[in-house]
Amino acid sequence: MLLLHFALSVFRLTPCEASQKDEVICGPASAWFESVDMSVDVAKRGFHRELLYEVHHDPTPQAIKALVIQRLPSGVYMDQYQLASLREDTGLQVLLDSAVSLEDPAHMSSGFSALVYLSPADGLPGLLQAVVPVHGRYHRPSSSGGWERVYIEGPRLLLRPESCETLPSGLPHRVVEAPCTVQNQSVCSWLEIQGLQVPDSVTLELPVGDFSLTGPVCAGTILATLLCFALLFRTIWTHGIF
Amino acid sequence: MKAYAAELSLVSSHIGDSKYVCCVMDASVLLYITFTEPPLHCDQMWSPWALHGESPYNRSTYRYTPLLAWMLLPNIYATPHFGKLLFVTCDVLSGVLLYHILCLRGLSSDAACRFCALWLLNPLPIGVSTRGNAEALLSLLVLATLLCLELKRFFMAAFFYGLSVHMKIYPVTYALPIALYISTHGKLEAQKRGVFRMLQRLFNKELVLFAAVAGAVFFWLTLAFYCLYGWDSLHETYLYHLTRRDIRHNFSPYFYMIYLTAESQWSLVLGLVSFLPQLVLVLLTSLAFHADLPFCCFLNTAIFVSFNKVCTSQYFLWYLCFLPLILPRLRLSKKQGVGLLLLWFAGQGLWLMPAYYLEFEGHNTFVYIWLAGLLFLFNNSFIMVQIISHYIPETVQQRKKTE
Repeated sequence: MLLLHFALSVFRLTPCEASQKDEVICGPASAWFESVDMSVDVAKRGFHRELLYEVHHDPTPQAIKALVIQRLPSGVYMDQYQLASLREDTGLQVLLDSAVSLEDPAHMSSGFSALVYLSPADGLPGLLQAVVPVHGRYHRPSSSGGWERVYIEGPRLLLRPESCETLPSGLPHRVVEAPCTVQNQSVCSWLEIQGLQVPDSVTLELPVGDFSLTGPVCAGTILATLLCFALLFRTIWTHGIF
Repeated sequence: MKAYAAELSLVSSHIGDSKYVCCVMDASVLLYITFTEPPLHCDQMWSPWALHGESPYNRSTYRYTPLLAWMLLPNIYATPHFGKLLFVTCDVLSGVLLYHILCLRGLSSDAACRFCALWLLNPLPIGVSTRGNAEALLSLLVLATLLCLELKRFFMAAFFYGLSVHMKIYPVTYALPIALYISTHGKLEAQKRGVFRMLQRLFNKELVLFAAVAGAVFFWLTLAFYCLYGWDSLHETYLYHLTRRDIRHNFSPYFYMIYLTAESQWSLVLGLVSFLPQLVLVLLTSLAFHADLPFCCFLNTAIFVSFNKVCTSQYFLWYLCFLPLILPRLRLSKKQGVGLLLLWFAGQGLWLMPAYYLEFEGHNTFVYIWLAGLLFLFNNSFIMVQIISHYIPETVQQRKKTE
């Protein structure tokens, strides 16, 4: 079962301390980071969507690990049990920073963060990807019905070369500490890639009830149930053996 | 969709001088269906908590008795398919119980087998059990209660009944009809009509024994799990279901009303108003048909499910398991029967369509789902009216003659 909690304190900025004596050339060169490109897309419709993450980069002799930190609002949720099943079945690696309610409506829920460990695409070097299911919550009915918009802010991308114990120095990227793997048993230093061409947010539209119909719906429902009640009452009274 | 071996063979054997024809259903079923969505691993997800001594309620949305999690521990020790095999076995055993009850109600062996096939070959219970849902267990316990009552084994009947109420709350609707059924087990001349006489007959030895045993089973199991897991065990197993008001779309005619008024001051009043038809009809049915217990239980459950504030498709199993028992006494032509069946399916289909478009396509179909829910209630009510009108219930006098 995935570990659901990790200390937020692991997310801290760690200044990069360069020591000329201990400098070890490990990891790709600075120019390589400019080849990194990320895209985020939302697939499917309705209440059950998928977030598609793709990171393209130039080939490099070292394997690169990519971690996407996605902040999600209260209007959506990820099912930790579904993620556990997918981890066994498809190898999807997602870590949630808190327990997420599966049933509460949006106004009774809170946002959370998901750490998505991207995997290499089969047969496509230079591509890391992940497809993460996300589900919409019920929102309060609106006075005119229609749809509620849920904004999912752009993700943060963290990279680290797999075989390096220390990150290359002198890079114009922040160093961030985050769990090394989805097992969340150790913390590694990652480079947060900035300046990526990703949208500030992606938008989901979820249908909501029409509050202006409350009166007719209540009246209609009560009338229908009373009618059916009367029908059954009469039949049972007629045919019953008292 | 992959399906492996579904083999059902009927074996009849003629045993000894008593000419007791035993129809044994040898159902070696290993039906594994992969659905379009990821396989449910619910049964595997409850037991690990029990294994490590933690509360199974640490698993959110676990709303059952801890006994179920304990029963599924072999999922971890033996095979991850144990839970599904257990529920499939319960389905098959339910068929065996149905057969015996039908024979006790006067049917021939062949006829009983045919009616049992309506349950054993029904894709709905097969699908529900193979997905890892425990409804088959409840069907087995309820049918075991009915069989023991038919055999006048009140102690065992009470044990199974207490256990079934512990596992799920809905069999509590059978308490009054069972009480009246047992109370009319006395002498024929005592069977005077009238509600007052009925209530007077509630105080007899067998009924007191039944109530004591069923109450004790329910009480001690509940107490044991309360001591182990605290308030969660009471809340999640019972109170949550009693107070449950799900704003998400479901078959209930009340769903949209509950969604729109979830935060309204009228919410409580509307909740009580919507409970009354269910309560009154269940009471009336209990008084009217308690002499024919399977029929009474069928009606009670169908009414309970149809008028409930939440209704999902697995609830249909609660009353479908009684169908083979009531069909022999139902005087409907084949055309009428098929017509009612198609009406029932059509009602579900009309609901499923807008529900699909809401959930998977994102269309705003709330009003259509609401209207389809009302139509489904009309459908169910009409079907129940037809069944009641064309059913020949067993009376107390008829029951005494066959004993």
